[in-house]
Formats: sequence, structure tokens, C-alpha cells
Amino acid sequence: MNIYLFYIALFFYIISTISYLFCLTVSRKIIEKLGHNFLLTGFFIHLLATFVRYFEAGYTPVTNAYESLSFFSLCIACFFLYIKRIYKMEMLGSIFLPVLTIIFIIAFAFPTEIKPLSPILNSWWLPVHAIFSFIGCAVFLISFFVSIVYLIVEKKIKKKRFSPAAARFPSLGTLDSINYRCISYGFIFLTTGIITGSIWARTTWGSYWSWDPKEIWSLITWIVYAILIHNRLAIGWRGRRTAYMMIIGFFSILITFFGVSFFLGGQHSFI
Amino acid sequence: MHIAVFGLNHNTAPIEIREKLFISEENIHDVLNSIKTAGIREAVILSTCNRTEIYFCSDNQDKALDIINNMLFNYFNIKQDWIADYTYCFQDEDAYKHLFLVASGLDSMVIGEPQILGQVKDAYRTATLQNATGFFLDKTFHKTFNVAKRIRTETRIGYNPISISSMAIELSKNIFGELHKKKILVIGVGEMSEIALKYFKKEGLNEIFIANRTFQHAQKLSEEIIGAPCPFQEIPELLTKVDMVLSSTGSEKPIIDKTLVHAIMKKRKNKPLFFIDIAMPRDVDPGVNDIENVYLYDIDDLKELSQKHLSDRVKESEKAMAIIEEEKSGFTAWLKRLDVNPLITHIIGTVDRTREKELRKITQKLKNADEDTLKLVDILTKNIVNKLIHPHISMIKDNEDPVVVDIIKKIFSFEGEDENKMDSGNERE
Repeated sequence: MNIYLFYIALFFYIISTISYLFCLTVSRKIIEKLGHNFLLTGFFIHLLATFVRYFEAGYTPVTNAYESLSFFSLCIACFFLYIKRIYKMEMLGSIFLPVLTIIFIIAFAFPTEIKPLSPILNSWWLPVHAIFSFIGCAVFLISFFVSIVYLIVEKKIKKKRFSPAAARFPSLGTLDSINYRCISYGFIFLTTGIITGSIWARTTWGSYWSWDPKEIWSLITWIVYAILIHNRLAIGWRGRRTAYMMIIGFFSILITFFGVSFFLGGQHSFI
Repeated sequence: MHIAVFGLNHNTAPIEIREKLFISEENIHDVLNSIKTAGIREAVILSTCNRTEIYFCSDNQDKALDIINNMLFNYFNIKQDWIADYTYCFQDEDAYKHLFLVASGLDSMVIGEPQILGQVKDAYRTATLQNATGFFLDKTFHKTFNVAKRIRTETRIGYNPISISSMAIELSKNIFGELHKKKILVIGVGEMSEIALKYFKKEGLNEIFIANRTFQHAQKLSEEIIGAPCPFQEIPELLTKVDMVLSSTGSEKPIIDKTLVHAIMKKRKNKPLFFIDIAMPRDVDPGVNDIENVYLYDIDDLKELSQKHLSDRVKESEKAMAIIEEEKSGFTAWLKRLDVNPLITHIIGTVDRTREKELRKITQKLKNADEDTLKLVDILTKNIVNKLIHPHISMIKDNEDPVVVDIIKKIFSFEGEDENKMDSGNERE
């Protein structure tokens, strides 16, 4: 049952993506609105699908590649909708919709059936730890793309090749402030994810920290973002430097999230 | 029924002539009235600093042109040969094509400028309020507004600004987003900075500081636009506070150099700073642009960008021309369908005259009504009339049963080919 709902959600994401991409070529308010509504519909169906799967499986569906990627794209959709509410930046939809749709499609490449939960994951810490970590990653993914857009726009303005209105890019100020919001939220989620993870580790494995590859890389990621926040507040790192740091931080997240699970092994290799 | 335009514009006439033939808001009423009483059924006058044009609609174009020429001689002190030298007259297809071009800014001095559409709309509104328009010009102008809107959305003709001031604002918006919480420092009082500042003021800036070597000049401009005058020595201090700097002094050497800005950016904690240097020679050291979070555009950069935008617009205007050609053919076809059948023209003419007559009566009674109400009444009557005659017209167009058409003829007392009768009937009223 749940899988059909996931397919319906994917369908809405795809048509939303098409609408947003169409918006890049012609500016039609109505198409932007359509794109937004498709996204919203897709998001709620996706959320519903996740709940249905939760009840059908009996555990929070973040335990294998399919479930994680699906949940990850749900988090991206959620945070993007939040950013859009604040900044009204329709143009960013043309970036995030394709990204989240592609991630969701990749999810379907993995086995989708519900399997019995492995005993070590059977804990109330699973949803807490996983949800915080996933939202943190989704937030940083958004800031990664925002940073790339920032660098492009900044370069164009600096090199004086900019045609102000034509590109319909968000302003540097807006992009930087989205980035700042992303660091603030992302850092809180990431920190909470690491702390809850280590408490959970204590209850199942007996120690808070066991230098597992995933743990090491999440610590590295945490340090990158901590440096960024410190420098931003203390010596006013903003604009281009924030953007570069966000990009570095995101690569570190990619290694933590995918690299470790697929290549380095360790105790987290189930996802 | 023919639509035509008679007039002159910046391409055909020098400014001295255009000035003479400019019809001011108050005069438009008189001129429209005299045109109407002379027997032209519908007319709209568009008069701006770049053009004066009269759009009109009548059955006999030569007669109508004579009327308009006479009116011009009466109202303005003009010479006979001016008409031949400076004016143009387009008829039918060419006339509404010209209107499409004008309204979408393709006939403007600065191609693609947006103000003209508003001016065309105003001209049309003035004419409707005077009851000077009827079925044909209504349709023509509504079509025009559609075409202009289509061109705005489907081409990028009006996308990028051309003037130095609006470009400075667009760039600021691309750096900061909204400008209403931002502060600007103006260094040097001059004509250019004054114009630019007025544009910035419209964006609702938070604070405006004005620094000038002669403090009195700064004070004077500050009073005019509500800013804070500042002594010249305070500039470094102010640079830590503001977001934008508009500089246009007559100084021979740069007054803001790289080391100063470096030091200031530290104090600002790297908050972005945008320099718009419209002075010649330059006021801001070009190296300033290399500093992080500092953006510098000098007058050459802005001019170059303006050139680029202009050539973009010229490119886009080809697309716009294609749209205009397409719409023109569509509208011609639509008019032809009406024209094939003198009965349709007759029905439209009759009901429209009746409507106008009744409307005039009611308007006299509605002395206390404001313009909006009158306009609504006008639209209301027009809509009712159009809805009521629509089924008849489609019956005629679809070549319904001749018996039915005969009945329609009787209802609207149509007597055959003699169309000119209608026009003289108009004068009798």
C-alpha cells in the first residue's frame, strides 16, 4: 500500500520539477504557482506514505537505502517549503525540485520491500537520532546549492557581466541570509543528531564514542560547521567565504552520509 | 468603417514642432469635443513629449482627415507645410499595427520603455470618459493592451534597465535584496547624483547622508529630499554605517582608496558595501572592487551595461515584431468578418449610439458621482449592450436561416447598402 503512495508522491514531484524548469525559460506566475502546488501535494502524500509505511512496518522507515533516501528527499522538500515561505524565492525551485526528485528516483533503485527490523535498531532512539540527522543533512544540502548560486551571482556582479533582472536570481543578501539560517538550523540538528546517536550507542554498545568511521566523519563535519559559525560571528565571515565553507562542509556530509555507508563499512553500514 | 492614425513623433518631427503640437490634459477635452461635433464618430488622443497622435474611426477617411487638419489649424498656430513635412497618417492595418508598436514601446526613443503603455492607457481612459470612443476603438485599444501585455511576458524587451539610475538601483537590489532598510551616502552634489537619488528615494531607503565639500550645497539638497547633511571629513566614519555610496564629485584624484576601504571593511565585519561612482574622473579607486564583499561600478561600467541591455532589447524586438504581425493579422481577420456584412456594422453602430445617448442623459443626472463610478457605469452599459447583440451577430456571421436574418434586419431597421446614412444620422443627433 505504502509503495503506491510513494509513487504518487514521486509523480507530483516530477510534474512540479517540470513546471519549475519551464519557469526558467518563460516567466509565468501561473506556472510557478502550479509548481508550488504540485510540490505541496507531493510533500503531503510523501509524508502520508512515510506514516503508512511506519504503521505497516512497525518501525520508523529509515533503516535501509531506499527508506533513507526517500526520507532524505522528504526532509529536503520540507525545509525548502519553509525557506520558500520566508523568502518567496521561486527561482530556487528550479534547482531543488530536480535535486530532490533525482534523489527520490535513486531511492527506488534499491529494494523497496519491508524487511524485519534488525534487533540492534529496535529502539526509541532510532527515530530521534535518524530524524535529527536527516533533517540536518537536508538543510546542509540546501545550503550547498544556495552557496553555488551565491558564488555564480557574486562572480557575475564582480566581473560586471550581470544583467540584473534577466536572470531572476535571488539577491546576494537573500542568498547569504538563507545560508545563515541554514547554518543555524543545520548545526543544531547535526549536533542533536550526534548527541542522541552517542546516547543510543551507550545504551546498545556500552560506550558513547567508539571511533567508528561514521562517527569520525560526522565529527569532522561538525568541526567544519563549528569553525564557520565561530568565524561568522567573531570576525564577520560572510558572503563568498561562507559559501566556500558551506560547500566544503557539504562534501564532508556526503562522505559521512553515503561514503561511509557504502564504502567504508562500520557499524552504520546498514544504511 | 476605417481606423486611422494621424500624428507626429520623435522620428518625424524635431522637438520645436512637437512642443507646438503638444495637447495638454485640459485641452484634450476640448479637442475631442470639437472632433466629435465635427462628425468623427470615435477618437483617442495620445500626447506625450515624444509624440502627438490622434486615433480615429470613421466611414469617410478623407473627410475625417480634413476635419482633424482644420481642428489643428484652429487650435494651434501651425504652418500649412508642417503637415506634409512632419506628420504621418496610417490607415486600417497600418494604423493599428502602429498603435501596437507604440503601446509596446517599440516606437519609443528608448526602445522597450514601459511608461508609454501607461500613457496609452491614460489617453484611452480620457477618451472613454468623454464618450469619444465606441465599438471599434474600444476593441482596438483593448486588443492593443493585450498585445502589449503579451510582448511584456513573452519577450524580454523590458527586462533590463537602460538608464544609469535605474541600473544602479537594479544592481543594488541584486546585492542587497529589498532596499527599504538600507542607507546611502551621497558624496558630491550634482545634477546626476540628484536624479539618481530621487530614484533611490522612491525605493524607500532608510537613511540618506549627503556629504559635499561646500557644506551649504549638501544642506540645500538635504532639505529638498530629507537627508542628513554631513561634513566632508566624516566620510570614513560614515562608510562604516552605510550600505551604498553614490559618488559624483569633481575631484581630480580618487577620494576613496583601497587601504581606506580595507580598514573600513574590518570595522563593518565584512557587511557588503556597494560603490556607484558616476564621477569623471573617478572618485573611487578601481582596485576597491577586488576587496571581498565590496562592489564597485563606475560610469563606464554602467554605460557599457546600458549598451549591452540596449542591444539585448533590439534583439528581443524582433520577437516582438513577430508577435505584432501575428496579432495584426488576427485583428484584421476579425474586423473583416464584421465588415463583410454591413448589417453587423449597422447593428453595432445603432446600439452604440443609443447607448451613448442614454449614458449622456444619466451622466448629467449623476452629478455627484466620481470618475470611477462613471467609468463603471460606462463599462456596465457597454457590457450589457455587447452581450445583448452578440447572439444576433453570431447568427448573421454563421449565415443563419435568411428568415431569421430578415427578422434581425427588421428589428434593427436596416435598409440595405445605404451605410452613409448612419453617419449623417450621427450629426443630426
